[in-house]
Amino acid sequence: MLLAVLHTPGKVFREISAGNSQVIGAVQRLTFLLLLLPPVFIWVGSTLFGWRLGAAEPLYFDNTTRIIVSFLYLDALIFGYVTTVFIARWMAVTYGASSASTESLFAFFTVVCAPLSIATVAHLYPSIFFNVLVLIPSIIWSINLLYRGLPVVMNIPPERGMLMSSSLVGWLLVAFVSLLGLTMGLWANGLGPNLGV
Amino acid sequence: MTEKPNNISSREVYHDGVVKRLVQFAILWAVLGMAVGVYIAAELIWPGLDFGQYWLSFGRIRPLHTNGIIFGFGVSALMATAFYSVQRTSNVPLFAPRLAWITCYGWQVVVLFGGLSLLAGWTSTKEYAELEWPFDIAITILWVCFAIVFFGTIANRRIKAIYVSNWFYGGLIIVIAMLHIVNNLALPVSYNKSYSLYAGAQDAIVQWWYGHNAVGFLLTGGFLGMLYYFLPKQANQPIWSYRLSVVSFWAFTYTYIWAGPHHLHYNSIPEWVQSLGMVMSLILLAPSWATMINGIMTVSKAWEKLTVDPAMKFIVLALAFYGLATFEGPMMAIRSVNIVSHFTDWTIGHVHSGALGWNAMITYGTFYFMVPRMMGRPLYSVKLANIHFWLALAGTMLYILAMWGAGVSQGLLWLSIDEIGELNYSFTDIMASMVPYYGLRLVGGLIFLAGTVLMAYNLLRTMYGLHTVTVSPPEVIDEVKGTAYNPNAVMGGPIAGEAGQQAPAAG
Amino acid sequence: MKYHGVTLHRKLENNIGLLIFGILFVSAIGGLVQVLPSIFQDSLRLATENSHLYTAVELTGRDVYIKEGCHVCHSQQVRPLLAEVERYGPYSRADEFVYDRPFMWGSKRTGPDLHRLGGKYSDDWHRVHLINPRSVVVNSIMPAYPWLAEWEAVDLGDIQAKMRTLRKLGHPYTEEAIEAAPGQLEGMTQLDALVAYLQILGTGLVEESP
Repeated sequence: MLLAVLHTPGKVFREISAGNSQVIGAVQRLTFLLLLLPPVFIWVGSTLFGWRLGAAEPLYFDNTTRIIVSFLYLDALIFGYVTTVFIARWMAVTYGASSASTESLFAFFTVVCAPLSIATVAHLYPSIFFNVLVLIPSIIWSINLLYRGLPVVMNIPPERGMLMSSSLVGWLLVAFVSLLGLTMGLWANGLGPNLGV
Repeated sequence: MTEKPNNISSREVYHDGVVKRLVQFAILWAVLGMAVGVYIAAELIWPGLDFGQYWLSFGRIRPLHTNGIIFGFGVSALMATAFYSVQRTSNVPLFAPRLAWITCYGWQVVVLFGGLSLLAGWTSTKEYAELEWPFDIAITILWVCFAIVFFGTIANRRIKAIYVSNWFYGGLIIVIAMLHIVNNLALPVSYNKSYSLYAGAQDAIVQWWYGHNAVGFLLTGGFLGMLYYFLPKQANQPIWSYRLSVVSFWAFTYTYIWAGPHHLHYNSIPEWVQSLGMVMSLILLAPSWATMINGIMTVSKAWEKLTVDPAMKFIVLALAFYGLATFEGPMMAIRSVNIVSHFTDWTIGHVHSGALGWNAMITYGTFYFMVPRMMGRPLYSVKLANIHFWLALAGTMLYILAMWGAGVSQGLLWLSIDEIGELNYSFTDIMASMVPYYGLRLVGGLIFLAGTVLMAYNLLRTMYGLHTVTVSPPEVIDEVKGTAYNPNAVMGGPIAGEAGQQAPAAG
Repeated sequence: MKYHGVTLHRKLENNIGLLIFGILFVSAIGGLVQVLPSIFQDSLRLATENSHLYTAVELTGRDVYIKEGCHVCHSQQVRPLLAEVERYGPYSRADEFVYDRPFMWGSKRTGPDLHRLGGKYSDDWHRVHLINPRSVVVNSIMPAYPWLAEWEAVDLGDIQAKMRTLRKLGHPYTEEAIEAAPGQLEGMTQLDALVAYLQILGTGLVEESP
């Protein structure tokens, strides 16, 4: 399934759109894997190589901290994934796409995020620079999938899909920046790992 | 279609020549200003790029970038679209067209020589108010000319109600005038040097009252005027909720002014001022998002236009980034977040999510719509415009992501201390680790500039060789009142149906 | 209430004069409440023992700092945060800035905060650093300022006119100080003046940080 998602996403989108329950089910099972990969990768990477921020020696945290970080990472991913689906459903009415089921939306976003999730294998070497190099192209790939796949899955004309995708990009940016702000606000008030060496 | 009454002796036309010229200047400054931006981004990686020349030194050309973009690109685009839209929403040609031309060329002269003066080191250091007092006076005079033309046109109008886009342009003109005059008060020493009337903490408070609201009323408010006129025009739909637009205008105009002190959190100004700034910044989220929602709901009804009209794509994305920037701003205004973000590249990222994502993109969408209409021919290449769209999106996103990374890193690492209160990192080490982010930002900026250059080529080819189409205001005499009116200007209805405006391609 | 709102709106929508006034009125409120009181607040404008009146040489140096755009990369505002006080020194007080026209707290730290720079490095260190930053800080991205060693301090403008203008704005320069000023600048380069300015930054603070 994973191979199909990465190699022929167009076909997968069409199957989802058609309501093929086998495909949708397979994608749903894939979701669990894709959600778990990034937190696991970062746990492994930060254990083996430490956080490499470039400013000094690599940072090694104790196991509790690393597990908490991975756990919070998983939470953030789940939160992002679920809320995006519900926001998309909410927006669907405006764009004439209310016929799409929630299941197919979940499946759709899994396919969109698959490249990103696989790319987080870069977390195995947690150097910021390296991760940025690997993740930027995968973000581009994912956004491409979003714009291409949304009209197919929602069964709407490409122009409407274009509008809705742009609105979703807007939502994703807002969600990301609020997470950033929330994290910074908490961290600045002491709730976060000490960045000491 | 409207008809001309027989008693019209001379043929009135809209004065679009000055609009076209301002659009050309806006495009010129966009390319130049962004090129300087790319250059200074490169200098932050390779400081030797000033080649030992004082006039290429980062400290002198960075304000060249900010002033070139805000006053060159931004104001020219605002003047162009203000002149275009005020005529059509008032159904009269421009009041005092010669004054409009003086405003147009006078402004360009100020931008050009102002820029050169910055290279010469004549600066007040106050952000977006760097130009010294002779330029401040010239700006004031030209701004008054701008006001006369704009408000004079409205005073002459043939439609009773003043359309909401004019409110935003009006707000731009009035509030910027107030801010500019008060903040730039100084005693001159010589023709190129003056000392601010305010000092220290007072100067800081006045400066950021100005600085934040220059962003608020020029970069936000003025461009909202652009949105409120051009979006319904492009979508051929009325604004989704006229009432919402009016309410949010007043909320916006009132609230924005208070938000200045969020630039001064934990600085040596009274705490009540900081807190007030923070609270009002948070409240500001509401009118800002009300506008975004208004825009998106209007666009969503007009989705078929996207097949033929690349301009709409830009407007939609501009709205998304507007939402981001107006959410991020209040968030960064919260003290706890500000502790991390102040003085870092996060602020730069926030600026550019607004400047690239909102200001540039909505201007691009508007220009792609306006220019073919003014020339009476289709856009030279829809394909190039579509490529531009993707370049603009990619460039903006790379820029923002790079600066988020850099800013958060800097902020957290600067604050990092160990259990006994010793600093963990030296300043130099932290800044040295910024290089990858600065590299990514440079790439993002280059991509964005490339898109802008494509647009310049596209629009200039569209303009090339043809005279401007002359358009007349519609004139129908109300039989009862004996006064002229536009039968299509119904409250809340589309401001459409201008004679001769049914352009061929994206109609 | 709603009826009044609609009527008011109609009035504004149909009358440009009223609209202009309305905008001005509404937008002025924030400034009047937030900004105006600070203009009259003594703690923000009256000189205290912490305030340092710039000498002619230091003033010239400050104007070099302004001309070269140093404020674009360097802030002059140490925030009352533990890490900042640890890194830079005592946090900045409002009364230290009463003679700063314009204020230069900055909005970006591409380079470190400079408010407590005074006395931390030798004059020679500053000279070498300004001529070529990378000769003392290997990873530095700061531009080099070799021209400052060639340009004369007197070329920066009439120092007496500057001091007289500042005196009008309330800086207590004596007539003797103004008379002596050109003599003090004689033979100085802009680099010398800048170093003199950098060396007094933040040294005016009398009280100990808590």
